[in-house]
Amino acid sequence: MIGNSAQPILVIEDSDEDFEALRRVMYRQQVLNPIFRCTDGDEALDYLYHTGAYSDPQTSPRPSLILLDLNLPGTDGRELLQQVKQDENLKNIPVIVFTTSANPRDIEICYRNSVASYILKPIDINRLKQTLQSFLTYWLDIVVLPDTVGR
Amino acid sequence: MNTNKNDTAFTVDLTNCDKEPIHIPGFVQPHGVLLAIKEPELTILQVSNNTYNCLGFHPEELLNQPLRKLLESEQIDFLNDCLTQEDIQIVNPVEFTIKTFQEPIIFDGIIHRSNGVVILELEPAILEKNNNYFRFYHLVKLAIGKLQSTKTVTEISQIIVTEVRRITGFDRVMFYRFDRDWNGIVIAEDKQEHLPSYLDLHYPASDIPTPARKLYSQNWLRLIPDADYQAAAIVPTNNPLTDEPLDLSGSVLRSVSPCHIEYLHNMGVKASMSISIIKNNKLWGLIACHHQTPKYVPYEIRHACEFLGQVTSLEIATKEDNEDSESKIEIKSVLAKLVEYMSAEKSFIDGLINKQPNILNLVNAQGAAICFNKELYLLGNTPEKQDIQNLLLWIHNNIDEDIFYTDSLSQVYPEAEKFKDVASGLIALSISKTQNKYVLWFRPEEVQTVNWGGNPNQPVEVSENGGLHLSPRKSFELWKEIVRLKSLPWKSYEVNAAAELRGAIITVVLRKIDELAKLNTELERSNKELDAFAYIASHDLKEPLRGIHNYSNFLIEDYSENLDEEGKDKLRTLIRLTQRMEDLIDSLLQFSRLGRVDMSMQPTDLNAVVHRILDLLSARIEETGVEIRIPRQLPIVYCDRIQVGEVFSNLISNAIKYNDKTEKWIEIGYIEASDPVIFYVRDNGIGIREKHFDVIFRIFKRLHGPSKYGGGTGAGLTITKKIVERHDGKIWVESNYGEGSTFYFTLQKDN
Repeated sequence: MIGNSAQPILVIEDSDEDFEALRRVMYRQQVLNPIFRCTDGDEALDYLYHTGAYSDPQTSPRPSLILLDLNLPGTDGRELLQQVKQDENLKNIPVIVFTTSANPRDIEICYRNSVASYILKPIDINRLKQTLQSFLTYWLDIVVLPDTVGR
Repeated sequence: MNTNKNDTAFTVDLTNCDKEPIHIPGFVQPHGVLLAIKEPELTILQVSNNTYNCLGFHPEELLNQPLRKLLESEQIDFLNDCLTQEDIQIVNPVEFTIKTFQEPIIFDGIIHRSNGVVILELEPAILEKNNNYFRFYHLVKLAIGKLQSTKTVTEISQIIVTEVRRITGFDRVMFYRFDRDWNGIVIAEDKQEHLPSYLDLHYPASDIPTPARKLYSQNWLRLIPDADYQAAAIVPTNNPLTDEPLDLSGSVLRSVSPCHIEYLHNMGVKASMSISIIKNNKLWGLIACHHQTPKYVPYEIRHACEFLGQVTSLEIATKEDNEDSESKIEIKSVLAKLVEYMSAEKSFIDGLINKQPNILNLVNAQGAAICFNKELYLLGNTPEKQDIQNLLLWIHNNIDEDIFYTDSLSQVYPEAEKFKDVASGLIALSISKTQNKYVLWFRPEEVQTVNWGGNPNQPVEVSENGGLHLSPRKSFELWKEIVRLKSLPWKSYEVNAAAELRGAIITVVLRKIDELAKLNTELERSNKELDAFAYIASHDLKEPLRGIHNYSNFLIEDYSENLDEEGKDKLRTLIRLTQRMEDLIDSLLQFSRLGRVDMSMQPTDLNAVVHRILDLLSARIEETGVEIRIPRQLPIVYCDRIQVGEVFSNLISNAIKYNDKTEKWIEIGYIEASDPVIFYVRDNGIGIREKHFDVIFRIFKRLHGPSKYGGGTGAGLTITKKIVERHDGKIWVESNYGEGSTFYFTLQKDN
């Protein structure tokens, strides 16, 4: 068992299959953290700002960690990252980019916008599992995340 | 001119100096005698009427008489010899001894031809010949040595005035230089100490009118020994052979224009002499000598001065050219650099303005503007953009030459006065008049400290007693104003450099066009490769894809008993993904080929097109229960039927897809009286946020996750846009988020 049930994770991912792969690994690792998913950038913005379908902060709590795909329908992951990092209330949430894009420009832009980690999605299923396991252990067990209690 | 030949009564009133026929005054100065002689018999046709004083014969005793009456036969023989010379003036002066009533007197005879008659002018010789020749040689030798040791125009001017004054003994000798507009400035002076200095004084062009300038450039030297002389008339007035007044252009005794006499009076001058300085066959300046009392200069000394004038002219020409030679070399190297920069830069304009040196250095301008392909590029101090646009329009409409330049723009283009501080001087270089491509250079107003010796617009003052008075003049204001609106003049080598740049620009631009053509060929080749890539993508990538698809299906078919529901679900996902992949590949292929498929343009009834599409989509329409509205008949337009069908197909299927209302509708129509016709497809669907209006047309850019609204490849609107653009049309969207969208498009160019 890893993680903390009081620290929700927001996954922004348009591909059901990719999300399914992630969910499988989490299930095997027995992740305690509640997982929330948005399938596009606009939805993610609604979630973070409690607008539209996510107006209730109880059912859509502020995440302690954001896992972000870059190529998203609607508002793009790059744009979303920039907006989160420019927002005084949201900027201290660590954002981890999880993408297929190995474009050096993307990598540079993301780090310039204070991304916490930039992780490439491997095609090979074993490597994908390995990557996700390491990532989950590191971010949910080793790293101290900003305290969300009282917010 | 068709004037009366006998009309010698031209009244000079100081306002018409510019028109006065000063070459046919009908009078001579009385210090010598003029004879007009018919060849070959040497009969005297006309004489000045002062012959009695000089020669002891009354004019009527000489008229129609042979010249033998005055000269011994050996002198006649000598004269005849002279007259056979090619250049008869080379013999001047010829020494003649004439038997007057008392004793023989030695005269300097000066001969030339005028309109077929020989003009013989006799001046009493004052110096002894031998001595005279001795002096001439020494005077000239000394002066020439000094002249040749000079380096600059200023030095030459100073030396020549000093030397001429030393040789002649005039009170004042000035070097007077003309500018391009024939205004003059005194650039050197040598004078008696007590006299006021005229150095640096400027004189308006009208002080030396055109006819006078013409005579100055024909004769190297002009002498007026006594401005208060009583003119001697030529009798008869007209040449009896031609019945025309005698042309005295080449005469040394020619009577002086009343204008000039008045001018000398006003300056307090009794005697004057001028030596012309001529460069490239054009009057460049004058060495002007003044004396406060009458002063006669013997022919030999005048001859020496004339010779010095000629030497000075040559020296001035060389020195002036040399003075500019460094600048010329400098400008050549600037031009070479500019050509190099232009070739190296992507845009030749960058090469002209963004480097050192730049086009300002080429002509020593303070500002420049390049007008190219409707863009205006500015450098240095220039007028406002709008002012330049107006100026360009004026140039376009008024200037036909490839190169136009002025140092006083406001004189031809009065609006320029408002930006005189940056552009009183202009060079306009037309690269292509039809395409409005120009290079302009600007120079600011150069406010010079000008000391005017006179106001050309008010040369005459009426004194209290009603007489006319020339100077000192008082009102210079208007004239100063004209001078104020001037820049430094453009030197000819600067104008030439600008003209050379034109050739260079044209060459570079042509070469760039050439390079562009090569690039196009290259692009065509890489397009073909891309085409090939798209085919590989559609065929070779599809092969393994088909394998995955088929084997997944085999698994479900053959092992469905051994698989639980979750397992079957995973296989169905696999099949769905292969279909999605195929869709993506097909869209990519369609999009990449779109630009190269030939258009089949024809008048097309859009009603038929839309109904065909609606038929194809009928299953979806029924399924979703969407209401299709076509408020009125669509027009017939000139377009590619298949491709425009694709446009409607994409827009209508999107409208069906992105709608979550219970009562769905789509309206297809066009805006009345729009030109070009604006078509639209409107829905009451989910709408689009404004920030996504542009990105929806980007390839593979979707607004929703693949599982929402039936998915899609994200290529449909990109393909639609490309089709519209291939028809020279435009496509855009208006939408209220949550309420619906309207896609507008046109199928031809904007008017």
